Amino acid sequence: MSAAHHDHADAGGLPHSHKKAYIRLGVLLTVVTAIELGLPFLKAYPDIWMPFEPVWAPLLVALSVFKFGAVVGEFMHLRGDRRIFQFLFLSPLAIAVIIFLLLGALTVSLFLPFGEGIAVTAIDVKAGYVRPTKSSGAEPPLAEDKFKAAFADAKAKNFEAGKAAYDKVCKACHGDKGEGKAALGFNLTDDCYKYGGTFKDLYVTVADGRAGNKMPAQAGALKSEEIRQVVYYIRSLKGTNVPGGQPCVGDKVAD
Amino acid sequence: MSAQLAATDPHEVADAAGHDHGDHGHHAVVENNFMGLPNIKLAMWAFLGSECMFFGSLIGTYFFYHGKALAGPLPQDVFSIGITSISTFLLLMSSLTMALAVDAMKQRNPATARNFLVITALLGATFVGFQVYEFSHFVHLGLKLSTSLFGSTFYVMTGFHGGHVTVGVIWLSMLALLIHKGKLNPAKLPINVEVAGLYWHFVDIVWIVIFTFVYLLEFIQ
Ligand code: HEC
Repeated sequence: MSAAHHDHADAGGLPHSHKKAYIRLGVLLTVVTAIELGLPFLKAYPDIWMPFEPVWAPLLVALSVFKFGAVVGEFMHLRGDRRIFQFLFLSPLAIAVIIFLLLGALTVSLFLPFGEGIAVTAIDVKAGYVRPTKSSGAEPPLAEDKFKAAFADAKAKNFEAGKAAYDKVCKACHGDKGEGKAALGFNLTDDCYKYGGTFKDLYVTVADGRAGNKMPAQAGALKSEEIRQVVYYIRSLKGTNVPGGQPCVGDKVAD
Repeated sequence: MSAQLAATDPHEVADAAGHDHGDHGHHAVVENNFMGLPNIKLAMWAFLGSECMFFGSLIGTYFFYHGKALAGPLPQDVFSIGITSISTFLLLMSSLTMALAVDAMKQRNPATARNFLVITALLGATFVGFQVYEFSHFVHLGLKLSTSLFGSTFYVMTGFHGGHVTVGVIWLSMLALLIHKGKLNPAKLPINVEVAGLYWHFVDIVWIVIFTFVYLLEFIQ
């Protein structure tokens, strides 16, 4: 160790500058970050994305571990520093990683049935709220079933509340079923939006209003929870294509 | 080796111990412990070790509850990759400027070190600004601390990180100011800047983890 490092200090007692190495590392880290950021956009190209699907997530994790190691090892100079510093940092880091993995393992093993339920719920939510099905009325016996029931319950409540708000406020202009009314409000049952169809877009449309308040802002009239519910409700209308609906205004959206 | 030796002839002790840091010149003034190491640096590494467990638990908790939100918007409903990439880039660059500040100080170049500290603090402050914007945007979309498990775990995790960045910004600004005014013992300056740098880089690596595991993985699923 020492022989290699004796040239570290020059005659004046000052250490050699690492400036160039630091800048090089900074550039490298920027490139790695750019690659990481590019991955989500790659998803738009299924030809490239699909065949390697199982690779992307581990790749992201690997790149992040690399960045972590580079900053700790080089910028913080832990690589080649005294053992005691390495020990003080790396052993709690190991504990942290173990805690992280244990929590992950618990999520998978204890809640596997629950986890599966979640996955479905997430899809349901993305597609908009699913109409509640009639429950059998039997008390769910297991904890995870209770969780599932709580989900179904929350979904049903959200759906009902969203529909209620819609009927109260929006129906006048957007029609009973969201089919729209000429000169009053757009069709909400097609897959075509002027202001975008993601949750965010719809929320902003409803909360802040559009077209100089021809679509009136609801932020004052409805609570944010209600806006959210009504947005989930109108997302569930998307693609129902009620007959006799108003023509498409804007762009078709895929999702 | 004895403590007296460490105090009287730091060069020899440091070299004998294979200490390769090169910042030998000031050991006589900095409070070293029996190992000939600056106590302040030892303390910082110990602190950062405990911080690993702290943030490890927060990030682990976020994952434990991921996808279990009963109400409100979900991560995909609110995350915006644009804003997050900008703040990620800012923090990454601030790690570079921090390393350059430490380097300049080791070259006994306080003016350059001060300038890099100021740049680092500004980048950090901009990061915090983006986080404030992000949080207020999320609240506007209906995600509050009490909205759902997603809201609670997300705000607590990223909020603690933002708090750490804020503390770092204040620390670095104070350091730059004191260097500027010449109020710090020049012999202690390199170790002071180095230790501040350790803290700052740590805050950056926490963000590296949060950025990948919380934001990016969300987008590629
Ligand atoms: C006073 C009539 C009126 C009411 C009430 C109204 N809207 Fe609208 N809405 C409009 C008009 C008009 C537009 C089209 C704006 C334009 O011309 O760009 C619109 C547009 C929209 C859009 C944008 C669709 C797209 O293509 O991007 C959404 C979403 C929407 N309304 C949802 C709602 C919801 C939800 C409510 C109830 C909370 C509501 N509206 C209440 C008149 C109304």
